[in-house]
Amino acid sequence: MTLNRRDFLKLSGAGFAAALAPQTAFAKKGKPHVVVVGAGFGGATCAKYLRLWDSNIEVTLIEPNAQFYSCPMSNWVIGGIRSMDEIVKSYSNLPGYGIKMVQDTAVGVNTDKRVVTTGKGQKISYDRLVLAPGIEFMTDQIEGYAEGEAAGKVLHAWKAGPQTLALRKQLEAMPDGGVFVIASPPPPGRCVSGPYERASLVAHYFKQHKPKSKIIMLDGHIDVVSKGPMFKAAWKKFYPGMIDHRPYNLVTKVDHNSMVVTSEFEDVKADVINIVPKQRASAICEKAGVRTDSAGVWCPVNGVTYEAPNVPFVHVLGDSVASNMPKSGHVSNNQAKICAAALVEIFNNREPNPYPVIGSTSYSATSDSTSGPIAVVMRYDPDKEAYIRQPGGGASAESDEINFAYNLAWFENIWADTLG
Amino acid sequence: MTMKQLFFGASGTALIFSSMMLSTSSIAAEAAPCLIAGWENPASVCAAHTKTIAATCFICHGPNGKSNGAIPSLAGQDKAYLSEAMRDYKSGKRESTVMQKYALGYTDSEYEALAAYFAAIK
Repeated sequence: MTLNRRDFLKLSGAGFAAALAPQTAFAKKGKPHVVVVGAGFGGATCAKYLRLWDSNIEVTLIEPNAQFYSCPMSNWVIGGIRSMDEIVKSYSNLPGYGIKMVQDTAVGVNTDKRVVTTGKGQKISYDRLVLAPGIEFMTDQIEGYAEGEAAGKVLHAWKAGPQTLALRKQLEAMPDGGVFVIASPPPPGRCVSGPYERASLVAHYFKQHKPKSKIIMLDGHIDVVSKGPMFKAAWKKFYPGMIDHRPYNLVTKVDHNSMVVTSEFEDVKADVINIVPKQRASAICEKAGVRTDSAGVWCPVNGVTYEAPNVPFVHVLGDSVASNMPKSGHVSNNQAKICAAALVEIFNNREPNPYPVIGSTSYSATSDSTSGPIAVVMRYDPDKEAYIRQPGGGASAESDEINFAYNLAWFENIWADTLG
Repeated sequence: MTMKQLFFGASGTALIFSSMMLSTSSIAAEAAPCLIAGWENPASVCAAHTKTIAATCFICHGPNGKSNGAIPSLAGQDKAYLSEAMRDYKSGKRESTVMQKYALGYTDSEYEALAAYFAAIK
């Protein structure tokens, strides 16, 4: 084994030259300023850890919402085992770290002059920009979706917030014997295991209160692709005959007047319609010129710094990133720390760690007292310029009570780590 | 090359931080190289590496390894206990829901560094 350190410059290519370029600039200008767009698990974590790890860095965090709505646990609200107020969290701790919070929406970026423009007309200069804006929905891919959503009859509830509560209310109003249709998009999208958890917890609610009701899952995936054996075992054990999972069944059309959901294969009559459309990185990523994967929907990044390869000084985190990593709050939080650590090193004229490691854990509940995890470690390989999944990872085959307790602890700890 | 040489300076001084609040700049002065994935690196790179992996642990085990629930806290745990636990998860001697799935993803030297990191948190 040779012990000579690799030539990080050579391995990292153009992205590294960009990464080092601002060092001298900062030495002249004084305190570096990082603008973070989006205070979700990625953005809020990045802002917080930048300040924790180097208080010389000035951080501005732009977020339109006054409060944080947690997607993790939002299925528990839809299934009625937790209340809405348990997934709404305050941003009030973040200013205490020296983060400047700006309640506004980033609507434009001048990447030459390094200025972000907000919806209220503010212009905010940056030395480094971190985009963690989450997803937007490609609703035009499903005929009738926009009209159905505007009428309040077709919900995604795939961003936690008003639609979470609206879907819960529709399920409560649905008569016993009704049909709940949940449709999920083909990969990649936010939270691959989420639709299966949602079906499980709605089934849990139906079993208690509306036992003649059915759930039809029109799944854009070829199978229950995340925690498959665990979900299938739970459905068979807890909700026999209630969840009709129809894989590889992509929704193309919805009519909210007749309440019919149309897939590539069939028409399905529904009482409550929950369609999760295909997603892409939010519009600000397109404005910044970083939504440049082959389909133009996600943002490629340098795996060491999370900087966009084609736009210097712009970094991307979380669900918007084009990668083989799961799109989850856990991964977003972890990416945020790798990005923050890399920025600290860059601003201090040191080399960023060329070997970052991502841990990806996700719990899903299958009832009001059972959950199960998937856990995977991914290590960045500078030769392959990719995160490589390590051996030993995977999902549990069964959900159980001890993992439900761990699931609850995971919520509390990731919320505290991101916002506390 | 021994574990000690990998993660401790030639002087025997630990390159591990007593807390995440400690700036890495104070570590940069430590010139001894260290290994990650078999490659030598400046001490500052290893410091950032350990700090960032430790912060990964925070997601489940709580900020600074101080948990708010059924997942155990790591802060202030005995260093030898922590590194042995990870080796036992790796070998299969000890069973767990999540940690066994993680255990093969990190190196023994990373476990030594992480154990020292968390043991030092008060």
